[in-house]
Amino acid sequence: MTPPTDSAPTPDASGPTPSTEPAITARDLVKTFTGRSGTVEAVRGVNLTVSQGEVFGFLGPNGAGKSTTVRMLTTLTGITGGSATVAGVDVATDPDGVRHKIGVALQEAGLDMRQTGRELVVLQARLFGLSRADARTRAEELLELVELTDAADRLIKGYSGGMKRRLDLASALVHRPDVLFLDEPTTGLDPASRLVVWDEVRRINAKGTTVFLTTQYLEEADQLCERLAIIDDGTIVTEGTPASLKADLRARRGLDADPTLDDVFLDVTGRQRERRAGEVSEVAS
Amino acid sequence: MKTVLILGERAVREARRTPDALLPTLLIPIFFLIVNTGQAAKIFPTGSTPFLEGQSYAAFQLPATLLLAASFGTAALYLVEEIENGYFDKLRATPISRGSLAMGRLSAEALKSSLMTIVILLIALPFGIRIASGPIGVVLLIVLTAGWAVGYSGFLQFVALKTRNAAATNSAGLIFFPLLFLTPNFVPRNLLARPMEIAATLNPVTYMMEALRSLILVDLDWAVIGKGFAVVAGFVLITVFVNIRTMATYD
Ligand SMILES: Nc1ncnc2c1ncn2[C@@H]1O[C@H](COP(=O)(O)OP(=O)(O)OP(=O)(O)O)[C@@H](O)[C@H]1O
Ligand SMILES: [Mg+2]
Repeated sequence: MTPPTDSAPTPDASGPTPSTEPAITARDLVKTFTGRSGTVEAVRGVNLTVSQGEVFGFLGPNGAGKSTTVRMLTTLTGITGGSATVAGVDVATDPDGVRHKIGVALQEAGLDMRQTGRELVVLQARLFGLSRADARTRAEELLELVELTDAADRLIKGYSGGMKRRLDLASALVHRPDVLFLDEPTTGLDPASRLVVWDEVRRINAKGTTVFLTTQYLEEADQLCERLAIIDDGTIVTEGTPASLKADLRARRGLDADPTLDDVFLDVTGRQRERRAGEVSEVAS
Repeated sequence: MKTVLILGERAVREARRTPDALLPTLLIPIFFLIVNTGQAAKIFPTGSTPFLEGQSYAAFQLPATLLLAASFGTAALYLVEEIENGYFDKLRATPISRGSLAMGRLSAEALKSSLMTIVILLIALPFGIRIASGPIGVVLLIVLTAGWAVGYSGFLQFVALKTRNAAATNSAGLIFFPLLFLTPNFVPRNLLARPMEIAATLNPVTYMMEALRSLILVDLDWAVIGKGFAVVAGFVLITVFVNIRTMATYD
């Protein structure tokens, strides 16, 4: 029998040691699309490390390569070069292992128009191995969370854009994923729906789920993300906490007050743009 | 395997919700049965036409009707729709086997086709059509037709996966015409003109049609039935294989 001690509690050595392995890593990730109309280098060497439990923001102008990066990390499109792991599993060599651990809500929020909201969530849960009864219970819970209980038994065909996005989010959560990928989850949502999604993201994250989120809204990144990266033209141009990115710009510009994230965004992507324009004219001359 | 059933169940639900897509697949084959029989029945009277084996010309036409009905699967078109709207990606991101992903809708096609065959047989019976091979023959008839439905829908689903385009998938469906009409569908093979007989002999669908016909008119003639089943088995194996392979390498 061990005597009780008065000293501060020490970490329980018998419990599970929290793993310090990153939730997402990407090393020199490259994606090249080859089609009839030529070759597009959508992602040109992205390096990322996202820690467990983080809400990580992935920002960038249209066509920067955000969705392509998400699609590689979620096993939906092959990796042309480099490597990536999600929840400790290699995306290229064990895609099925990755799929077990991730939830995905894609930019298009593609849903099956001929099912009801409830049927879609139940189906998703069943595909992740839940029994019929468990899938029903889980669907009920999730529909409630995204405020779709009233519409649950209507065909998705009749849902509004915002309802579809919230349903898509609910269906990404059926199996309590370790890592949740959200590609522009609030684009096109009214302010109230946006708040529902933000609350849900915070709640999911509070339970330990890592969230990888792309967005066009800098306010959203500021509100939700602990860390973010800005991608432009397939490469990451800056990375850090929202506060550090603002402070950095403030120092460089010698500003009196902190700039907004918008200023940071324009600074890094605008500079990139000028540089590229310069390259183009060099080639042309 | 379980996920095939889960996805199959969903495809059945999908079909139930689109009765306007399902009804013509029943009515058009019956329309052709009536029209073709009406046109040729007088040329081939039951009493003096040995190849009818004592039944009406409608019984002789029934196999073509069954195959036609089994060729109206919706798997491929719904898949293209799903690829276009992005739901297919959502399914691909789940940890189910790529085989299940390929087989879900095809399993529903097998079920739909079986039901369709039963309905057509029930419609045919009051018109004096008899299944000479008895209950076992009826089961074989259903299985053979369902096999064709899986193979044919599987072929179109493969085209859908490759092209990801509704127009291309629809055009591929036109292959149905040479496959179903370069067969002995109006008279037995030995009565066809020589070039047509050669074409029909080379067309695998001929052996399916002859197997179905022998089940309806003759009895359990295993040599003929065996050829029909061999053709269907080969067709299903090939289409399922290419579907699973394409699904696994889909990018
Ligand atoms: N399947 C594809 N085939 C060819 N090019 C593609 C494909 N998918 C994306 N691209 C190209 O790759 C680049 C990056 O696209 P991506 O969708 O990743 O951008 P994004 O940052 O998500 O943009 P947005 O903010 O508009 O969603 C673009 O130039 C796009 O045209
Ligand atoms: Mg995008």
